Amino acid sequence: MATLLRAALRPLRPPPGHRGPAAGKWRRREGGLGRPAPLTAALFFFFSFFLSFFFFFLPVDVLLRGARHGAGQLYPEHIPTSLLQKVLLAAGSAGMALYDPYRHDMVAVLGETTGLHALKVLRDQMKRDPEGAQILQERPRILLSTLDLDKLHSLPEGSLGQEYLRFLDVNRVSPDTRAPTRFVDDEELAYVIQRYREVHDMLHTLLGMPTNMLGEIVVKWFEAVQTGLPMCILGALFGPIRLHTQGLQVLVSELIPWAVQNGRRAPCVFNLYYERRWEQPLRALREELGITDPPMLVRALA
Amino acid sequence: MAAPRSCALWSYCGRRWSRLMRCCELPGLRSSWPGGPLGARQLSQEKQATETHFGFETVSEEEKGGKVYHVFESVAKKYDVMNDMMSLGIHRIWKDLLLWKMRPFPGTQLLDVAGGTGDIAFRFLNYVRAQHKGKQKRQLRAQQNLSWEEIAKKYQNEEDPLGGSQVVVCDINKEMLKIGKQKAHARGYKAGLAWVLGDAEELPFDDDKFDVYTIAFGIRNVTHIDQALQEAHRVLKPGGRFLCLEFSQVNNPLISRLYDLYSFQVIPVLGEVIAGDWKSYQYLVESIRQFPPQEEFKEMIEDAGFEKVTYESLTSGIVAIHSGFKL
Repeated sequence: MATLLRAALRPLRPPPGHRGPAAGKWRRREGGLGRPAPLTAALFFFFSFFLSFFFFFLPVDVLLRGARHGAGQLYPEHIPTSLLQKVLLAAGSAGMALYDPYRHDMVAVLGETTGLHALKVLRDQMKRDPEGAQILQERPRILLSTLDLDKLHSLPEGSLGQEYLRFLDVNRVSPDTRAPTRFVDDEELAYVIQRYREVHDMLHTLLGMPTNMLGEIVVKWFEAVQTGLPMCILGALFGPIRLHTQGLQVLVSELIPWAVQNGRRAPCVFNLYYERRWEQPLRALREELGITDPPMLVRALA
Repeated sequence: MAAPRSCALWSYCGRRWSRLMRCCELPGLRSSWPGGPLGARQLSQEKQATETHFGFETVSEEEKGGKVYHVFESVAKKYDVMNDMMSLGIHRIWKDLLLWKMRPFPGTQLLDVAGGTGDIAFRFLNYVRAQHKGKQKRQLRAQQNLSWEEIAKKYQNEEDPLGGSQVVVCDINKEMLKIGKQKAHARGYKAGLAWVLGDAEELPFDDDKFDVYTIAFGIRNVTHIDQALQEAHRVLKPGGRFLCLEFSQVNNPLISRLYDLYSFQVIPVLGEVIAGDWKSYQYLVESIRQFPPQEEFKEMIEDAGFEKVTYESLTSGIVAIHSGFKL
């Protein structure tokens, strides 16, 4: 009887003698800020799930509406989601984005699920401006297929087109790696957030920031002031958690005040029809927007 | 094999029609079922015979295989992590229960179909190894008058810690098999394990080869379930056992509502956050709803020629283990 019980219990334990370096999920990985154990991430997620049960003062119908009857696909790639799903997605993607900063898709999902109000404000701002209204009407996309690379190469040195190409080369990024919008339940707002993502690279060029962690945080601060998107605000506030103290010092003392100043001074950067301004010299564009040169330190990194 | 095949197809269509009338949440198909006189109904059934379900979508049968392959190809890397997250680790208990029901002994030949990442196979090997060790100990204790040299020789002569058992893991998806092989290598499983790429509807094995055939959480992804069951009947030895662990219908209405809420609201979100793939996990929960309930699946197993078919619902019907014998 005892052997039967032992034999029955044995499948629940790993076989003896398995102590190789590949085994053991509790082994901490070397280098950099250690990641929290998967257990913490799981606890974070399930805590937010159970917390959302306190939303039950909202009728369950409101929580679940949108995913069952009626809410069809408004645009290709659209996935209709209920309020509960949006809450869970927002919490989960925020946690995952902090846990693994390389998950850019999580940052995108966070932006889509939390940005409804800010996107509406941004869209209205764009509608009021003539150039912005044109963008909303014509819906241009910045993709490798729509960019005329030869023409951009042939532009004079110092123009927006040239600087943008240089930025793509130096940082080894491509405009095609942006994920399509999925969780925004309005077709025009889905385009607005897509445009925001494509203009993000333009902002890197305008501000002269590289795509490392520091540069991204600076651009996030600028965007947070300009758009008020919760994802930008959260990224601006929590992004520095993953920086080392040296970068943090530079960030707080020089870069953030500069980014915030410029963000408040500049008009809405999403009203610019960048596709028609490739020939414009970058310096002139910066003057038009009131963007001063970045502090010397970060330019050395770019 | 034309006659039994068309019979199976016919009965499959009939069951699908009755299932459709039960779950009215398929707007696309409702219009094509006029439910008029018998002649009209049979005609439309024939036309729909080449179409099947992929979650709540309707696709052609040729398409379904490819789409399912694509789903598992993209989830393979995070398959085990997602299983733990989605079921809160309970899937381990379900798989353990399947093994305890199986009660393999040293010498059993197991075929684990759709066993991609090897969970059932590893548990089987552990179980058989433990059984074998227990048998050895009992033998030693029975022979009380052995000298030390004889005991040492007995241990040294031991070549097969599994006592002749073997498990063949068969899966249609290369990625899942790859992950399974990596896991086996990491955990040190070598002896008695074989990995075969094959289709459950057309197994690459001879007749009457295996003692036990298991399929855990795989049969609902097969395009023609009846063909898979017939293949299972073919490759089993007379006296062999068929075991299927699969998601099924929940019998308790309150738990059913909570389960639906969890399935449709939380699981795709988990899939998106952890694996970056919403659509695969949406397919997963929809395919669970499309699978026949316990009694119906039991009848399908009986149709394939198995006898003494029983089922046991676990966790109030979230999963069920169906068992049948080839006699």
